[in-house]
Amino acid sequence: MIVSGSVLPIDKANVDTDQIIPAHHLTGIEKTGLGKHLFTGMTGGVDLLAAHPDAAIVVARENFGCGSSREHAAWSLVDRGIRAVVAPSFARIFFENAYNNGVAPVVVPEAAIDGLLAEPHLRIDLVREVLTTSGGEEIAFTLDPLRKEFLLSGGYMAFLAGKRDKVRAWLDSRAAQAGAA
Amino acid sequence: MPRSLFEKVWNAHVVEELPGENALLFIDRVVAHEITTPQGALEIERDFDDALFDPDRIVAINDHVSPAKDTETAIQAKVLRDWAKRHGIVLYDLGRNGICHVVAPERGYVEPGMTLACGDSHTCTLGAFGAFALGVGSTAQGGAMLAGCLVLGRPKVMRVTLKGRLTHGATAKDLALHVIATLGFKGGTGYVLEYAGDGLASLSMDERMTLCNMAIEAGATTGMCPPDETTFSYLRGRENQPTGDAFEAKVDAWRALVADPGATYDAEVTIDVDALRPMISWGTNPGESVPIDGVVPAGAAEASLRYMGLTPGQPLRSLTIDQAFVGSCTNSRLSDLRAAAEVLRGRSVSVPTIVTPGSQAVKRAAEREGLHDIFQDAGALWTHSSCGPCLGMSMGVLAPGARCVSSTNRNFPGRMGAGGRVHLASPAVVAASAVLGRIASPDDLPARAAVEAEAVRG
Repeated sequence: MIVSGSVLPIDKANVDTDQIIPAHHLTGIEKTGLGKHLFTGMTGGVDLLAAHPDAAIVVARENFGCGSSREHAAWSLVDRGIRAVVAPSFARIFFENAYNNGVAPVVVPEAAIDGLLAEPHLRIDLVREVLTTSGGEEIAFTLDPLRKEFLLSGGYMAFLAGKRDKVRAWLDSRAAQAGAA
Repeated sequence: MPRSLFEKVWNAHVVEELPGENALLFIDRVVAHEITTPQGALEIERDFDDALFDPDRIVAINDHVSPAKDTETAIQAKVLRDWAKRHGIVLYDLGRNGICHVVAPERGYVEPGMTLACGDSHTCTLGAFGAFALGVGSTAQGGAMLAGCLVLGRPKVMRVTLKGRLTHGATAKDLALHVIATLGFKGGTGYVLEYAGDGLASLSMDERMTLCNMAIEAGATTGMCPPDETTFSYLRGRENQPTGDAFEAKVDAWRALVADPGATYDAEVTIDVDALRPMISWGTNPGESVPIDGVVPAGAAEASLRYMGLTPGQPLRSLTIDQAFVGSCTNSRLSDLRAAAEVLRGRSVSVPTIVTPGSQAVKRAAEREGLHDIFQDAGALWTHSSCGPCLGMSMGVLAPGARCVSSTNRNFPGRMGAGGRVHLASPAVVAASAVLGRIASPDDLPARAAVEAEAVRG
């Protein structure tokens, strides 16, 4: 699968989830329709999105997605057409949420970020794990081999659902061990 | 092979090793609140026959906006309520509820050695009990509800050794802020912070919860404290725990949940607790914190300075404030309220001040001690329990540019309202600041008699 599109450059570190989507927009019960709130908590966020209406790829600095566990951050990105976030590092919970919602968290070296922020357009091959700049330069990255499946095909919940019998058997053996002890 | 506390709990819950150093981790307990649960619950209802792995492992709590503030939040609460009823899940609802990280332990749902997941980043609070308590997204929480497990990459472990005791007015909150300032805002990313040392042994459960609550603010997967007599005493006689021999048998098993001598860690840091003084944040993440006597550091991030309206070298104590808040999953337990009340007793606040207990049980306990009278005599607003102003979701939102000293956990831009400026501190510092209308420690306050004489002179 290839994500190819224009870049939303966010020249900031520590873009927390309150900046991605402020808490007063967390009042729904569905995962959809949240794109209109994207980056409304970030200084200059609304203007930035207006200047890049077709962006498909966010480029940002370190520790993207820190703070709250709200999966709304990933849902609002997806709803706005963002399919990848390129940064030197991510906060754990956002990182997991991104994989589970079809937003690729692409980790690249810090040194590459200045150049990528200036790119109008990037091409990211998620299968080959290679990012290509508009000038043709290639940057390799690594995706989690298991979560990559969830990223490309969805199915985190279905994967776990398929483990239920195994989990029950494990639980029975745990109970038996505890009983023996 | 000697093992850390984390390794013992982790190894006891791995159902299957998965590719990419991931594990299928069994989750003993799910805590479900109204903001992040409905999405997963509805997905299970639609796509998986509404089948939960084990409803008895779930406890539901309406906590963020309770009572509801509008139609949308009323629907969230109703979805959680209906879902809990349909599945026979225990629900703490309006009147018996509070912040989930306060309610779950006070009702005995958290114990040493368990794994626990909740769609809330401050779930790490509950690592105070020697549990592996994990904040996750709604999908992962849904997975734990559906299949009793979730996928997690095995974290590394950092031992944080606390040396000495809290003195000089320093509290567990100041310790938490100091740890984050030491590690850096993302310095704990990829790690579990396993606390150790003589400084930990002297902390109460409330203090350990405050400390672990902010592990996420260093980016950590969670924090964990080895259980000890303090932990067992907290749990003994608590509801949802067995009594008598059955409880003592559990205690015997829990005693093994300490790091083995010679256990190795991926990283180590030692904190000099004796040297701690009250802390205050100046910037836009909790790592941007200094002792209250300090100044805004040279070389501070320009964006943080601009947002907070500060300049390098500026003393924090010079800052006038517009609001004060005591509450949140960090500092809303009875001991926190006592600390704030001790400062406010016989004094008056000079800025709008909100005091929000962490649960209705905490509220009632505080009222039995008369703390509500102290707060209200001082002119503070004493509210029902909730997350309150902490995340700007319901009441107490800041105006743009307004400065608030707050016992909460996040000072992110816009956290308590667009353009609002948050300074994180302990309940005692919040209370002292509320009295003086500027950032202050309790030591800065004039003697109570003088305040009273002044009040009489009018």
